[in-house]
Amino acid sequence: MKKSGKFIFQKYDTENLINRRAALVTIAKAGVFSVLVGRLAYLQIAENSNYKKLSDKNRITHRFLEPERGIIFDLQGRPMAINKQKYEIIIIKEETSDVEKSLVNLKSLLPHANFDIEKILKEVNSRKKFIPVGIIDDLTWEDFSKINVNIHKLEGIYPQIGFKRYYTQGESHSHLIGYVSPISKNEEESNPLSKLSTAKAGKIGVEKAKDAILRGKLGNKNIEVNASGREIRELDRVNSVQGNYIQLTIDSELQKFCYERLKGLSGSVSVINVKNGEFYALASSPSYDPNIFNKSISNETWENLLSDKYKPLINKSISNQYPPGSTIKPFVALAALESGVSHKETIFCDGKHLIEDTSLESGYKTFHCWKKEGHGNVDMTKAIKVSCDVYFYQIARRIGINKIAEVCKRYGLGEKVFKSLYEEKSGVVPNKQWKLENLGSRWMVGETLSAGIGQGYFLTTAAQLSLALAQLINNGTRLSPKLIYDNETSNIYNERIIADPRYLKIIKNALDEATNAPGGTSYRSRIIGKYKMAGKTGTSQVRAISIKEREEGLIKNKDLPWEKRDHGLFIGYGPTTDPKYAVSVIVEHGGSGSGSAAPIASDIFKYLFEKKFNLKRNEIFNV
Amino acid sequence: MFNQNNFYSSAFAKLQSINYPLLGLIITLFFVGLAALYSISNGDFNSWPLKHSQRFILGLIIFFLVIFFDLRLIFGYAYVIFFLSIISLVIIPFFGIESNGATRWINIAGISLQPSEFVKYTLILALAKYFHSINNDSSFIKTLIIPLIITIVPVLLVITQPDLGTALIILLGGISLFWISGLNYKYFIVGVFSILCSLPVLWQYLKDYQKDRVLTFFNPERDPLGNGYHIMQSKIALGSGGIFGKGYMEGTQSHLNFLPEMQTDFIFTMLGEEFGFIGTLLLLSIYAALIMISIRLALKSRSLFSKYLSLGVCNVFFIYVFVNIGMVTGLLPVVGVPLPFISYGGSSMLAVMFGFGLLMNCYINRDIIIEKTNY
Repeated sequence: MKKSGKFIFQKYDTENLINRRAALVTIAKAGVFSVLVGRLAYLQIAENSNYKKLSDKNRITHRFLEPERGIIFDLQGRPMAINKQKYEIIIIKEETSDVEKSLVNLKSLLPHANFDIEKILKEVNSRKKFIPVGIIDDLTWEDFSKINVNIHKLEGIYPQIGFKRYYTQGESHSHLIGYVSPISKNEEESNPLSKLSTAKAGKIGVEKAKDAILRGKLGNKNIEVNASGREIRELDRVNSVQGNYIQLTIDSELQKFCYERLKGLSGSVSVINVKNGEFYALASSPSYDPNIFNKSISNETWENLLSDKYKPLINKSISNQYPPGSTIKPFVALAALESGVSHKETIFCDGKHLIEDTSLESGYKTFHCWKKEGHGNVDMTKAIKVSCDVYFYQIARRIGINKIAEVCKRYGLGEKVFKSLYEEKSGVVPNKQWKLENLGSRWMVGETLSAGIGQGYFLTTAAQLSLALAQLINNGTRLSPKLIYDNETSNIYNERIIADPRYLKIIKNALDEATNAPGGTSYRSRIIGKYKMAGKTGTSQVRAISIKEREEGLIKNKDLPWEKRDHGLFIGYGPTTDPKYAVSVIVEHGGSGSGSAAPIASDIFKYLFEKKFNLKRNEIFNV
Repeated sequence: MFNQNNFYSSAFAKLQSINYPLLGLIITLFFVGLAALYSISNGDFNSWPLKHSQRFILGLIIFFLVIFFDLRLIFGYAYVIFFLSIISLVIIPFFGIESNGATRWINIAGISLQPSEFVKYTLILALAKYFHSINNDSSFIKTLIIPLIITIVPVLLVITQPDLGTALIILLGGISLFWISGLNYKYFIVGVFSILCSLPVLWQYLKDYQKDRVLTFFNPERDPLGNGYHIMQSKIALGSGGIFGKGYMEGTQSHLNFLPEMQTDFIFTMLGEEFGFIGTLLLLSIYAALIMISIRLALKSRSLFSKYLSLGVCNVFFIYVFVNIGMVTGLLPVVGVPLPFISYGGSSMLAVMFGFGLLMNCYINRDIIIEKTNY
């Protein structure tokens, strides 16, 4: 057929032309259909496994299930830290196209709700996109149901039921038990619960020390969701496992009593069983309400707690270190006995002790007894009873710092009592080597004298003092200090740490006299009755007293600003006939041990003798 | 109107001479659509499936009505019908119903209709008559310019609705008739070349959402939660269906609403997810068979008008199927074209039945000779 450009239409042979063109169109159509079939084969056969994954990713969402935290019980099996149900709202970045829009919608739905869109946006963007981020932690049921009704407007936002930690004992136990709050960035790697942003971790106290035991195991579930993220059905689930229960040796009633007794003061109390090393109370004052950490705590509250001069956040029974003052004297006396000093030997106290010091104009440095006019002739018993400083200056000088340090360390000073509590301090028992290593200078004789009365470099904690006394009073049996029952350590070491039982008798007698004989430093706080307590007061200086001040007359503690007053300490045990408990009391800037600390210890012993004479564990089994 | 002496004027005879394989395939496709809609409505027959059936019955009535009309009468009124359909497009901006930013529907006696669906076939009708009527030696204006104007007018009207997809199908359907009627292939070369050159200019006239769709087509990951979302989800649904599919009413992409517009534009995807490659291949085969039979029937007609009309209807139908499946498989941009007989949509159903009525009429009256008339 001739193709001619002359004609716009090629109509020489219309019939054939149409057939031919129709045939070409048909071939084209067949080609197109082949392409479609090829495309479908590619998508449905070749790429099937890929798209299958994508389809599953679409419909299946993985959710972690928060485990319930283990409960913390006291000695008697009273729950002290429990979990309460709470309603919370979370957002998952991956499941919303516009995080901000969802948050704005939420805000308009709950205008009174306390959450900061900017803050949450930041949080959401800093986390992996599939990790849920908590928006509102503790919601009322009304708000919770409101969210559920309007869920379709809140893409990526989910209401859920979670747990909040609740501390039944409130502020009396807060330092000891601690609290939980959201897992921080640096804990993320070590804590498997960090996959769940709403999960919390212990931040201090037992909650932190035993976090790994208490936290439990994450559960997880796969759910089928529709395009708007609503759960259609659960495909499979591994339930979360509740954390293990923990039982403390603390008797919550005793702890509360101790805390109440400290109210209005800044200080701490430690009560220990002298026979098995179980701590029955570790109170610290002032305190804070641990339940404020359930909700997101405001910056202002936090700042106030941090800047308070009475340091309510610090556990003063283990984290604050104090010079032991005269409470060290029974241990120095023991060191002296072990060094061959006779307890009958008398020393004349005229109120001061001089040592050579060529750097001074007079050529002497004067060490004063707390009693300006002196005690006259004192033997060891009297020296402990009246707390004569001059006696201990001389004794210390004679036996040397290293002997004193050795005895003190043997009884647990200068060492952490509970190795598991992160915030615990170890205190300082100084000796020559310690000074060289830490201060880089030689030990001076004057420093031995200071150490002899528990001043100078000496630092101890209330828990250490109670443990040291307990180990002294129980006929010198080394104890394994216990706060948490964990089947890991036996209660009693059979190791004897006292050289000679006769020494102990001398010390015990002296301590008895100090409390129960007229003229003793804690005589005013003695307990009259069947059971008695005995103990040693201590007053530790927080400032150096200048020569000028001595000449002009000492300023009375009550005339000094609070921060400059002496700390008052007391360590005691009871009952004197068959000791069961050792108690240490520290009242920060309380003025004197006999005035501030001994009466508190006395009250605690009275309470123990009346109500808690035979404290015994009421065992809790993990359910 | 009906000539009693004419053999074909007997209604019974007409029914007898219908090509039943073709009608059978149409009914088969309807049932496929019904099954798909039943699945999408989660087993609720009273929602989409019921309306779909009603529309199909109405479509069948139109189909038979068109068959019973004398072909010459249809030829005679072809321009009038075309003109009426153009009028319905023109009045849309004044009486139309707006939905999703586009005005495509008019309300006639309580029924919403989309005139652009019918224009696809009335244009074919008009062009078939026109090409049938012109002479071999007609002038350039008569043979090219006038039919081009006839084609361009409805295309422009539909573009302004705006409905780019339908406009393109109308245009392609019209152009296909230029080809069938024997327009020198050089014009097609020139035409394609000039369209390519004018693309950058045309781009300026596209609405933002249309630009988005085109851009997204070339790169679906560009906007995975916007326009790309539809394509991605459709590919995931098809691909995850595999060879045998996830099972009837078991498609997760569709039943969990990841798949957009699944009762209309993306119904093929839903079928592909539930019935797999076997299902899509089977469905494509039905469409292919329908098109093959249509072509065969078209070529049996004696008159040029019949051939043009039948082949035109067949081409439009093919373009429909191709654009829809190409779109849901990610070969073509998402332009919003239904899958004939299966997608839920009244106008599309009635229009395609109207089109196949014309085709069947041509087949029944294949031996009729239509005179060229002046136009």
